[in-house]
Parts: sequence; C-alpha cells; structure tokens
Amino acid sequence: MRTDRREFLIGASFALLGAASKRKLWAQTPADVRLEIAPLKLDIAPGKVIHTVAYNGGVPGPLIRWPEGKPITIDVVNNTDVPEIVHWHGLWIPSDQDGAAEEGSPMIVAGGQRRYSFTPRPAGFRWYHTHAFAGHDLKRGGYTGQFGCFYIEAKQEPGAYDQEIFLTLHDWNAYMGGSGDASMDAFYDYATINARMLGHGDPVKVREGQRLLFHVLNASATATHWLALAGHEFTVVAMDGNDVPRQAKVSAVRLAAAERIDLLVEMNRPGVWVLGETRSDFRRAGMGIVVEYANQRGEPKWIGPPETLWDYTLFAKQALVAVEPDERIPLLFASKFHGHGDFDYWTINGKSYPKTDSISLREGKHYRLAMRNKSSDDHPIHLHRHTFEVTSLDGKPLSGLRKDVVVVKANSNAEIDFVAGNPGATLFHCHQQSHMDFGFMMLFRYV
Amino acid sequence: MILLVLGFLALRPAKAQDNYEIQVYGSDTVAPKTTMLELHSNFTAEGSCPEPGSRFTAEGVYPTNHAEHETVEITQGVNSWSEVGFYIFTSARNGDGWQWVGDHIRPRVRAPDSWHWPVGVSLSMEFGYQRASFSKDTWTMELRPIIDKQIERWYFAVNPALERSFHGPSVPQGIGFSPSAKFSYDFNKYISGGLEYYASYGSITGVSSLHNQEQQFFPTIDLNVSPNWEINFGVGIGATASTDHLIVKGILGRRFDWTHHRAGSSDSTQ
Repeated sequence: MRTDRREFLIGASFALLGAASKRKLWAQTPADVRLEIAPLKLDIAPGKVIHTVAYNGGVPGPLIRWPEGKPITIDVVNNTDVPEIVHWHGLWIPSDQDGAAEEGSPMIVAGGQRRYSFTPRPAGFRWYHTHAFAGHDLKRGGYTGQFGCFYIEAKQEPGAYDQEIFLTLHDWNAYMGGSGDASMDAFYDYATINARMLGHGDPVKVREGQRLLFHVLNASATATHWLALAGHEFTVVAMDGNDVPRQAKVSAVRLAAAERIDLLVEMNRPGVWVLGETRSDFRRAGMGIVVEYANQRGEPKWIGPPETLWDYTLFAKQALVAVEPDERIPLLFASKFHGHGDFDYWTINGKSYPKTDSISLREGKHYRLAMRNKSSDDHPIHLHRHTFEVTSLDGKPLSGLRKDVVVVKANSNAEIDFVAGNPGATLFHCHQQSHMDFGFMMLFRYV
Repeated sequence: MILLVLGFLALRPAKAQDNYEIQVYGSDTVAPKTTMLELHSNFTAEGSCPEPGSRFTAEGVYPTNHAEHETVEITQGVNSWSEVGFYIFTSARNGDGWQWVGDHIRPRVRAPDSWHWPVGVSLSMEFGYQRASFSKDTWTMELRPIIDKQIERWYFAVNPALERSFHGPSVPQGIGFSPSAKFSYDFNKYISGGLEYYASYGSITGVSSLHNQEQQFFPTIDLNVSPNWEINFGVGIGATASTDHLIVKGILGRRFDWTHHRAGSSDSTQ
C-alpha cells in the first residue's frame, strides 16, 4: 500500500513535469551547480570495490558552498535507469524544490533532468541526498553514495580556526540481518569516512597549535555512529548547522543518521592518530581517518575514550520559563511486527504512511510536537523545510538547541517546537531509511 | 534370546543424545563475549520399560518411561562466526535417583554474515561420553550441518546430522543418519508456533526398517519475550515402535553479555 502511493506520486510527476521539463531545461542558461546521478564503482580500499550510485562520479558529491540569501540554480541529471530525486536537507525552501515526492517535488525520470532553483538559507552546515524509496532493495536510496555537503555561508563568519575539514560517514553493502529487537535490521560490510576505509585515505595533515574545525555528517542510511579523535577532545560548536547555545568539551560524539555536528579541536598532542568510530567492530569495518601532525611518523594510534552516553542537554540552556505553544501535537511512535524475517513496519498515532494523519498548520503559529516513542528502537526524527528547537527530553526542559534531526530514544519522550514559517507541504519522518520506507512518515499541510 | 537382543542392538541406530537435548539448531551462533546458559528439561511420559524383575530394559540400559532428563548446556561465543558448547546430561527416575549421564563438547562454526549466503549455514561437531547404563554406545560423535532461513513470519531449519559410535554395539554400523527439521510461524513478535521433526534412520549404508527407525514429531511453541531469553516448549509423539511414544520437552535459556557496556553508549553495539 505504501509503495503504491509513492509510485502514484512518481507517476504523476512523470506525466506532469517529466518530459516537459526535460525539453525546457536544456534551453536555459547553465546552472550554478550541476549534479549527475550515475552508477559508480567506488574504491574504498585496495581490492574493495563498492557498486553504488553517486553524484558526479565521486563520494561524497561535490561540496556546495554558497552565500546565504543568494539564489542558486542546480541542474540534476539522472543517468540511472530508475527515478531519482535530490533533497536539500535543512534548508528553508519551497516544497516543490525541497526534493521529496511526498511534498510535491517531482521525481526526475530515468535519463531525465531537473533544475532546482531556490535561495539557500539558513546559514550553516546543511547537506543534500537522495530521497528515493528503497524498501527491501538495499542498493537504492540512502544506502547508495548519493549525498554531499551543502555549506551555506553566513554573511559574517568569525572563522576562528586554521583548517576546516568536512567528514562524511557512510556504511556500505547493506544486508538484512537479525537484530536484538527480534526483527530484521540493516547491517553493513564496510564503513568509511569520506568514502575511504581507515588507513586507505589521505590523512588529515595538521600542525601543532592549530585549531581545526570539523564539519561531520552521518550520511548512513540507518546506522548511528560514535566518533573520537585519539588523544584529543572535541568542542561542540554547532549541531545540524546551528550554533549550540552552550559549547561543551567531550571526548566522543554521537551522530544518528542525518545528524551533523561542528567540532573544534585544539591540535596539542603531536603524533599520528586515528579519528574513528569508538567501537572496534566499526573501525575494523573501515570507519576512521588518520590525523597526522607535521614531522610525525609511525603507525596511527588509537586510544579509546571513556565510555560515553550522549546527552543533548549538555549543549542546551536550561529552560527557565516555560513558553506555551499555540498548539501541542501529540505523536506516538510504535512498531508493527511483520515477522522475525522482515523489517518492522512503523506507525505514527497508530497509522502507517500514506495513511498517517495529515496535520494542519497555520502560518505564524507556534507548534509543539510531543513525541512518545514506545518502540525499542531509537528514531532520528527529521522535519523538512523548518528548524525546530528541542524543548524537552524525557520531561527535562531545555532551550536554545536548534536542530532539524533529533534522536527520540527508545521508550522515551521528546518535545520539539517550531514556528510554521514556511508554507507548503512539509514532510516529517524518521531518517532511518528502513523506517521511513515502511510507514514512518507523515505530512504537515499549511491551511 | 541373547541372539535376538544382540540382533536388535545391531539394527538400532546410534543415538547419542536420545531425549537429553531435543532441539533443532538454528544457524546463528552466540556472540563473542557472551554466554548462553540453557536448561533442557524433558519428561518421557511414555517410553521404554524395564524387563520384568530388572531395573534395565532389554537393551541393558535404564528405561526412559517416566524419566526426567535435565541437561545443562553452556555455550560461549568465540567470535562472530563460532562458538563452543558444553553439555552436562543428567537423568532422574523414581527408584533410580538422579544420575549423571555424560558430557559432550560441541564446537560450531557458521558462514559469516559477510558471505551473504541466501540461507544460514553452520556446522557443529559434537563429541562426548555417556555412561553405559544409559547408552551402550559410550563414546560418540555427531557432525551436524545446519541450514535455516527466515522469510517474513516463516522459519525453516534442517539438520541432516551424521552420527558415529566409537565404543559400543553400534560401532560396526558405521555412520548413522539422524536428521531433524523445524518450521514455525510467528503469530506475533513474542509467540511462534511450529512443528519439529526428529528421526534416526540407521546406518547411511543400510537404512533400518521402519519398525527400527526413530521418528518423533513435536508441535512446539517458542516465546520471544526478550533477546536475552530463549523459551521453547513442545510435546513429542513417537511414530514408530522404537521411539518413545510421548515426551514433554522444555528449553529455558538465558544469555549473559559480559561486555558490561551500557546500551547505546560509545562502546556498545546494542
């Protein structure tokens, strides 16, 4: 049922926009950015080749660095044999440009192309990625290499760092395996940073005394990752591209699928170190990169950080005065068992997409989503086209932490607030591909 | 009479485990740094009886009728594709007390997930001793290939086991064939119901007559209340003259994770 609806949208897109736009766009002036979606044989280490789909023949796709408020045009050419679509994650742009078929953005037919036109905002670390359905085909959608970083430059950036480095985490060769919650989940053979396995990519070269700013994106289709830099601490300065109200030092950071984090590191311990997954299984699978100080040689060293539990509240302010929203929207997340040999299906308030309720929003109103996750999985929840503020976690109020993805932990409650300031259909979903594909989505509509 | 008994024994298949561990194996192995502790409790409601005036059956072993067999199985995960299991077999029967029966050790390997085989495959090799008063074949070995597959709510497993006795009357028969199989259906997340089949056909070079084969069918229930617990319950019906006719079996297993990582932490893969 779920795929039927999506296929209907895809079909409608073809009929209305596909062929026509194909003819029209070629005649236009060259776009600011051009992305070509095509199959790729990706070398992640000697002898390890991933057959995937990517942008412009590389993973990640090209870094798009663009001033806030300056209009941009992006031509996307789909040189695969299936419909595709590109979502501009974290940007406040219109629904038909956002790149989600459910909101009304047209799919790009196989062999076709589409021009996206919008004004990038807000400033900060955003990203772009496919928003295509994968279902049981773990070689499509977010399981592929279709992602890239989109950095929107603020008019005034302090630039208090010596080097700026973008790191993208991804997992490869997904397969269905039995998981601890008695249903199937996606597991992976390999994990990479910037598409190379640990020890097989170019090291990050640094000098003692430098301040490094890492922009880290977890572009995994489903997996959560922990990162640490051996012998160093991170100062968390932004989450999902938005400055945190309270910077804090940590020895390891957690990123769920689609989350981003900006980290400052004082390079004060010369050596050759591993920046990698804190868990040895993932480092063995490849998730790591070498950080090499000038004039330092030798095997990269790993020092595990102390066992850490992630706590968003470290980076938020205490909420002193409770601000009441105009409307509180309760959302209950639950799983629907489909056998120990299948993925779970998912419901929001008892219904799976496309049967989920469509919530009405009025422009300018302040809404609170009161989320209760009664499943045994964590869910990185994403709201399209808006930034929200995390206002409480398991009853603990907080303020100032602005994000577009937040993890609602298993058997927990979380509340997020947003102002309906960007009219148009707005998708809300779990960013785990295997969850959103099996019902964990709903639409907000402005009335 | 003696000749008749000897003749019968020669035709009986070598069955090392009898009613001590009644389980169709799945291909998965216990995770590293994890121990699985299982208790197999099997009560034979209708089984072999002693010869008149004797404590033993015609085969010279303790009877199974109204015997309670308790087996402790301890399995330690070695790495992501192997484990080692150890068994302590015991038997309790009115008048015979509670007795140690024997011990087995069982290393097992499986096709790693990274091979992406369309079915789960593993291979176990079980070797051990049981007292002659419980089995005339005292030293035995079993090679058990395991193939299984879960498709949505359906689960299938087959264990075409080969057995060999190294000391006892079944030595001349060579390798025996003792297959078992299972299918089950997930009624919901927590309850699966199915049917298990256990057989012993005799030697691979000379299949026993149906009368002398062992064939048992167990309607079973599996309760999946937690990833740390394994609960299986079934009632078995013997379909041939050489099989115990009615057995009630239960398996209670508890998994112990020795890594002591907090779920969701930077060190935990849970």
